[in-house]
Amino acid sequence: MIDALEVAERAVAAAEADEAEAFVHAERSGLARFAGDEIHQPTLTDNASVQLRVARAGRVGSATTNRLSEEGLRAAARRAAEAADRAPADPGFDGLARPAEIPRVEGFDDATARLSPEEQAVRARAAIDAADGLGVYGYYTSGVTRLAVASSSGLRGEQELTDATALVLAAAAGASGYASATSWRDGDVDPAAVAREAAEKAARTRGAVELEPAKYRAVLEPYALSELLEYFSFDAFNGPALLEERSYLAGRIGERLFDESVTIVEDPLDPAGLPKAFDFEGTPRRRVPLVEDGVARGAVWDRSASARAAGYESTGHAGPPEMRIYGAFPIALSVAPGDAASVDELAELVEDGIHVTRLHYLSVVDPREGIVTGMTRDGTFRIRDGRVAEPLVNLRFTVSVPEVLADVPGLTRERMLVNRSDFYGERYPFGVLCPALATASFAITGCGSGPGL
Amino acid sequence: MRELCDEAIAAALATGASYADVRAMTRRTQSLATKNGRVEAVADNETEGIGVRVLVGGAWGFACDRRLTPEGAREAARRAAAFAAAAAAERAERALTPVEPTTGTYRTPLELDPFDVALDDKIALCLRAEEGMRAAHSDVKVTSATLRALRERKLLVTSDRVVVDQETVECGGGIDAIASRDGVVQVRSYPSAHGGASAQAGWEYVEELGLDREAPRVGEQAAALLRADPCPSGVTTLVIDAEQLQLQVHESVGHPIELDRVYGTEAAYAGTSFLAPGDLGSLRYGSELMNVTADSTTPRGLGTFGFDDEGVPARREAIVEAGVLRNFLTSRETAARIGAGGGGSMRADGWNRMPLVRMTNLHLEPGEGSFEDLLADVDDGIYVETNKSWSIDDKRLNFQFGTQAAWKIERGRLRRLLRDATYTGITPQFWGGLDAVAGPEAWRMAGLTNCGKGQPGQIAHVSHGASPARFRRVQVGVRS
Repeated sequence: MIDALEVAERAVAAAEADEAEAFVHAERSGLARFAGDEIHQPTLTDNASVQLRVARAGRVGSATTNRLSEEGLRAAARRAAEAADRAPADPGFDGLARPAEIPRVEGFDDATARLSPEEQAVRARAAIDAADGLGVYGYYTSGVTRLAVASSSGLRGEQELTDATALVLAAAAGASGYASATSWRDGDVDPAAVAREAAEKAARTRGAVELEPAKYRAVLEPYALSELLEYFSFDAFNGPALLEERSYLAGRIGERLFDESVTIVEDPLDPAGLPKAFDFEGTPRRRVPLVEDGVARGAVWDRSASARAAGYESTGHAGPPEMRIYGAFPIALSVAPGDAASVDELAELVEDGIHVTRLHYLSVVDPREGIVTGMTRDGTFRIRDGRVAEPLVNLRFTVSVPEVLADVPGLTRERMLVNRSDFYGERYPFGVLCPALATASFAITGCGSGPGL
Repeated sequence: MRELCDEAIAAALATGASYADVRAMTRRTQSLATKNGRVEAVADNETEGIGVRVLVGGAWGFACDRRLTPEGAREAARRAAAFAAAAAAERAERALTPVEPTTGTYRTPLELDPFDVALDDKIALCLRAEEGMRAAHSDVKVTSATLRALRERKLLVTSDRVVVDQETVECGGGIDAIASRDGVVQVRSYPSAHGGASAQAGWEYVEELGLDREAPRVGEQAAALLRADPCPSGVTTLVIDAEQLQLQVHESVGHPIELDRVYGTEAAYAGTSFLAPGDLGSLRYGSELMNVTADSTTPRGLGTFGFDDEGVPARREAIVEAGVLRNFLTSRETAARIGAGGGGSMRADGWNRMPLVRMTNLHLEPGEGSFEDLLADVDDGIYVETNKSWSIDDKRLNFQFGTQAAWKIERGRLRRLLRDATYTGITPQFWGGLDAVAGPEAWRMAGLTNCGKGQPGQIAHVSHGASPARFRRVQVGVRS
């Protein structure tokens, strides 16, 4: 792989500008995707690109290229300069990235970085072989990502990170179960164990029945809770969305909004997650309290939006340039654990309700009210008398996330890191660290297909 | 680039591959976003590389390299073959439908190259449109405008003597106004939400959109929505505008007819399909007024090309005729497996992704009459416009959509504006309730650039055409 910092420095040197900043993103990865009993889409990716931002007379322009030769970098510098010269001066522009102390984070494992394509295929095969007669659908992937930032003002930062994920849907006609595991250490990820968990879950989903739409008490496994919180966070914990009043937290910071057992932080530095040292503007990433004991505490910010909002500064959450119009997003949500010993104990707390393993195709219906819709899938069950009972078909839910979090009978002691990257674009692994959660209110608004293929 | 592709093919075959295809590509994209009167982002991206797909021992393998050099080409081919060999299980050779040896070219017809339009003119258009939205009403608190352009050059060479050189150009844009007052927040967009609309065309397409011309209406409607009543709940007659109906076609017809989903190879992520291979030619998808066509030749369609990423020529084919399923979207492999169709829908998101079965351009064919004719036969109903939220289950049966605006229909006419409209249904029942589609004069096509599928994830750009249509017995106004 390339020396990312060296490329960033060459890109800055190629710029003809008052200020310049370069962000390098390099990836070498393998993803062995499987379906049924075969690895059907094995993909090896090798890429590196540099995003160069320049400022000329208060005007900012940027260009990105994966041509890393001197000629390629010079061409990108010309395109960035042309973009800057054509842009109107921004009176709010307060300079490109400045020197900063980049935090040291964990997140790199040499053994994971050295995994060969053959070893990646072996891990995928282990999942296939462990499925106990069911078809398995999913993937094993591992990769190395190198990030580097340099600026004409003297900022220098680099990070090398690894990630590994096994994801398995075990399925047949009328039955399906899901499990996944992710870590920055391949050694923490056991594809066969993931497949067994999925298969065990699938075996219990045969004979699924429909459920009358209504509000139910519910247990959400970490797979489900992580996705629900991620969609809620797009607006709720997004600093610019606070200003634009599309966040549920707008005007409510400091208020008790959720059950006092709910504490959520954005923690990109936590070694239990997928740590990141700096954002796409080169700003050091910070741990940010979002909800403490049910009280709304804040949101995440990038430099551009925080510069226009009195009393705020960047928390290191600038996304790639094409995403910035949507604001700043958490990339490492972390939900505090509770004291329930197991998911079964949460079922006891729920007594009468539903158990949800995984969600599908979420969409934000009303960002201001935190209303999200989607489907359950691959392991939805009725809870009766405090025990997981008969399987249910996939259910449509349309929930107010604040209502889901308003009355939380319990959370598990054990937490799980759930991969939330679907590996679109350049590899940037991220996830949510969360327990399973019991809620007093989860609105089911319809029924869909049964589990399975 | 031809030499590099030949080099990669030779390297792949030398490893024992029975088939190989190679795509050498360059892609430049430009995106511009303004928000609240300032330039939020100007991104000018270029990427290039080579992707090699091989069949070794009946197993696929794919690898890519950003270097457009002989070494990069050979290394990608060798790595793809090695990964395929590692992935291979005991199975017979994989069957593919035949493709004629071809040498072909394709270029997007256009009048004005979007990359020749000065960036300051683009910025001025965005800022002008934003000003038009803000000036419309003081409750408009956030405005934004986006423009995009893409040029992609792709050379495809396959081991069965297909050589195709294609260059496509896309552009598009959109505007959004967010109004807020007393804790109520509403959004209005044009020509559609989620980044606007795009076409495979020159800058003349963006000029025709008239973003600045439509801006005052968009601002006014965003503010008016603040004072509108929420859409009531109930089962009623629903009239859907062309833009929302395009997404309805995408989600409840386009994805279920992808044959790889039917065979389960997308099960873990995008999902499967309620359709089965045996449904071909017999399944009643909707009412007799439902006619859906897949057409990779539609002028200006984002799914238009000369040849797909397996070298299969572009085509137009019926998917649903008079409500009955007639075809799936196929690859050479899935077509061989079902024994019908000939491929033609394989598309990859760039040089570093493997081709997948994807939509091209999928259209609801027009019926007859005007939009007013659709309304005239509604005594009491709801009309919805412009998507706001969307969700559908993994078999593509249970869907729920939200729209930015709705109007109460009473005695054949649009009456009161309504906000927060949603509707939900089950795919075949919903399409079974189709009882009128407006005619060709009301037919509109728009391109979306955010269709996700695959692991690792891939984004496809696809277009859909539709006229407004009327559906009976639809559940509206879902409450949390």
